[in-house]
Amino acid sequence: MKRINFGIIFRILGILLCIGAAFLFLPTAMSFYYDEPEQWMFLLSASATLAIGATLAITLRHHRAINDRREGILIGVGAWLTFALVGLLPFLGIGTSVSDAVFETISGLTTTGATIYEDIDSLPHGILLWRSLLHWIGGIGIIVFTVALLPMLNHRGGMLLFSNEVSGMGQEKLTPRINQTALRLWLCYFVLTIIITLLLYAGPMDLFDAVNHAFSTISTGGFSTRQASIAYYNSPYIEYVVTLFSFVGGLNFAILYNTIFHNHTRLFKAEQIRWYAGITLMTSLVITAGLFIRGEYATIEECFRKALFQVTTIMTTTGYSTADYIEWGTFFTLLLLLLMFFGGCGGSTSGGAKIDRMVILAKHARNELYRVLHPNAIRPVIYNGKVLPQEIVSKVLSFTVFYVLTWVCGAVLLSITGVTLGEAVGCALTCLSNVGPGLGVAGPSGTFAPLPDIAKWILSAMMLIGRLEIFTALIIFTPMFWRNS
Amino acid sequence: MKIVIAGAGEVGTHLAKLLSREELDVVLIDNDSSKLAMLDSNYNLMTVVGNPTSFSVLKEAGVSNAGLFVAVMPYETRNIVACTIASQMGAEQTVARIDNYEYLKPENREFFKRMGVHHLIFPEMLAVEEVIMSMKHTWARNWFELYNGALILIGVKLRDTASIINKKLYELTSQSNIFHIAAIKRENRTIIPRGNDEVLLGDIVYFTTTSQYIEQIREICGKRTITVKNVMIMGGSRIAIRISTSIGDEVRIKLIETDREKAYKLTEQMKHTAIIQGDARDEELLKEEGISNMDMFIALTGSSEANILGCLTAKRLGVPRTVAEVENLQYIPIAEGLNIGTILNKKLLAASHIFQILLDSDSSNAKCLALADAEVIEMTAKPGSKITRQAVKDLNLPADMTLGGVIHNGIGSIVSGNTQIRPGDHVLVFCLETAIHKIDRWFN
Repeated sequence: MKRINFGIIFRILGILLCIGAAFLFLPTAMSFYYDEPEQWMFLLSASATLAIGATLAITLRHHRAINDRREGILIGVGAWLTFALVGLLPFLGIGTSVSDAVFETISGLTTTGATIYEDIDSLPHGILLWRSLLHWIGGIGIIVFTVALLPMLNHRGGMLLFSNEVSGMGQEKLTPRINQTALRLWLCYFVLTIIITLLLYAGPMDLFDAVNHAFSTISTGGFSTRQASIAYYNSPYIEYVVTLFSFVGGLNFAILYNTIFHNHTRLFKAEQIRWYAGITLMTSLVITAGLFIRGEYATIEECFRKALFQVTTIMTTTGYSTADYIEWGTFFTLLLLLLMFFGGCGGSTSGGAKIDRMVILAKHARNELYRVLHPNAIRPVIYNGKVLPQEIVSKVLSFTVFYVLTWVCGAVLLSITGVTLGEAVGCALTCLSNVGPGLGVAGPSGTFAPLPDIAKWILSAMMLIGRLEIFTALIIFTPMFWRNS
Repeated sequence: MKIVIAGAGEVGTHLAKLLSREELDVVLIDNDSSKLAMLDSNYNLMTVVGNPTSFSVLKEAGVSNAGLFVAVMPYETRNIVACTIASQMGAEQTVARIDNYEYLKPENREFFKRMGVHHLIFPEMLAVEEVIMSMKHTWARNWFELYNGALILIGVKLRDTASIINKKLYELTSQSNIFHIAAIKRENRTIIPRGNDEVLLGDIVYFTTTSQYIEQIREICGKRTITVKNVMIMGGSRIAIRISTSIGDEVRIKLIETDREKAYKLTEQMKHTAIIQGDARDEELLKEEGISNMDMFIALTGSSEANILGCLTAKRLGVPRTVAEVENLQYIPIAEGLNIGTILNKKLLAASHIFQILLDSDSSNAKCLALADAEVIEMTAKPGSKITRQAVKDLNLPADMTLGGVIHNGIGSIVSGNTQIRPGDHVLVFCLETAIHKIDRWFN
């Protein structure tokens, strides 16, 4: 392997800083509009970011191409860290401590939606918009946006970057050129955001809240502008809209695009989507029945609505809440914990281990059982009508092992900081899967604020590892990555 | 423009990689998903798994709005069928790779056009043309004639007989303005030289010139002309047969073939050729067959290694000119380093031929010859473009780009500092890979 060219890495990170600054100007404008005291702090952060980014991008402009796979990985990880640094500034500006600001920023970018603010309603508009905007940027991915914008990435280098960030396995291309594919994914994302904004605005929500919740819903994030989250509005209409579109956010965007523009039955034929819809519906029905029997809510419609909302928001890793599911009892809590692990479809904005992988894993397990009786049987995993190569099955297996190990290690580390067993296990999973609400104090009706600082750092790291799909994040900590031979 | 390539064999793969770097939309189809997996994840192109002669697969690949459809599967019949379907579905131009010389005949052209096959490529025929070209111009490594010979691009390897070694470029051109050194290939690196650069021993120098100055260039490079009278060919491949039938009896050919059965067969097809049975890597045999009198040695066996070794032996025994067929792409840089004169590779020939078909059909009318890490591109200066505004010396062209020659009203001339490019002129541009994207800015 060639030596890593750090020039190109810092040049692209410089460009990313400029993009970050451009996004920062939006809450700045909002802050000026409401004439809030943070306006100058926002302006300063945006200008400083722009200055540093432009300096990097201009001084290193003679570095042109990404040649090495490792450069692609470093830019991929670097992009998230860079945006986390930019995202940090406004939170520090309003006097939040460093650990809290880091947690809040990364929770925003990775679309986790776990918060440390205990009184969200009183936060300034600029900060509220910035939190949702972080979701929106992180949702479909920073790199996807950059690849769509920069012609210099419309080469092999762009491919190396793209495959690191877009979640899931075997990303299907929409067009031959990577920048067009990225652009189409973004347009899809953008149009969906506008649709949700309009639908929410039509209900009992003002425009500011509608935009923020649209950002947060389509990116399957979970930040709200209200402490009580969606429950604040107490409107079945809003709950159904949010349920539907967080479900859409958990769909594979490439399949969604193809369904709309090319093959209209594609969505209903894709195996991962059938499973995704099936699991959502089945679990909702089970929980509805449970809630109705326990008499939690008055009507069966309300039981169904609360169940469907909670199942979708947890499974797509959005993490809004209209009810405190911990109060429903241990069985339902554990059921939802299982859904947290699953996550949405690969190639969506959701987190988790991804339904695609779970389906492949289940089929592989069934085949292994069959082979106990028929040792010589040829039973490959058949997925979407095609035989899946053994390498992919083994990649899925090792991913799942890494995922579980990261979860367990994270929980063990958390337990050192003195949290309860439920909190350690629940918070570790909710952060790794980018969901939001955990168990214990950090449950749906609580926040992450009471956790010790060290726990917040551990959880921030887990959110990033989860969003980068484990391998990309872990590989840079191995000695083999840095060896030049 | 969208280009659909059917068949991810060596030609298809090479072409797909080449084109995906040129800002074109490339879709590659093959039956075998394992052949496509690596390309799909590493290159900026789309792949489709399926049979390229199936309607649904071609539809999925988006053939209906393709500018060019290229069928380079191993079987010519499938290529033709795929092209026929593709052009029915709406592909503008189609290219099929074939194995049959008969198909290339002018009288059959109309028949294939009617079937929807617009271009046929026969890589072996291209290899034969390349060999015949190097027989005519033995002292040059590369020889490209542009615009019917109005401008000629010659690549020459400099040995210690050349009089221009260790001279600075401005010294060479101050005496007479008969050529322009557009590029120098030195130790696997291509340089676009400036006035202060020196020409060194062992460089491959690319001259652009017009036909009347060719002899002078040959002299300053210290090369002798060799009239090729005696040729020894190693390996009785189809290319060898085609060479012997193309050049007739003006050149005496001796062919060495290892396989006795095959050697007997060859006597039927190659009437004027002496057929010898034996191993051409054997020095004794070569000496016995008069290798020292040979003007050229052409190695065409199926094994690249044997061809390279054969050429090295011939070179050592005093043959001035050697040609080796090297089908393994990885061996080409090694073979170039070993001083084997011309290297033939059917895949590269086919790919660059298709590349030219493509550029011809493109509206910009650019032609392109790939020289390792540099490109030679023929561009037409548009009215009002940046390049026509000032004399060349005042243009401030970037350092990785130079103008080799200009064709004005069909007459070629060398570009010097005082040349003024006029709208409508064809300009030969040399540039390093890093400058390709800049060219458009100057000409449009």
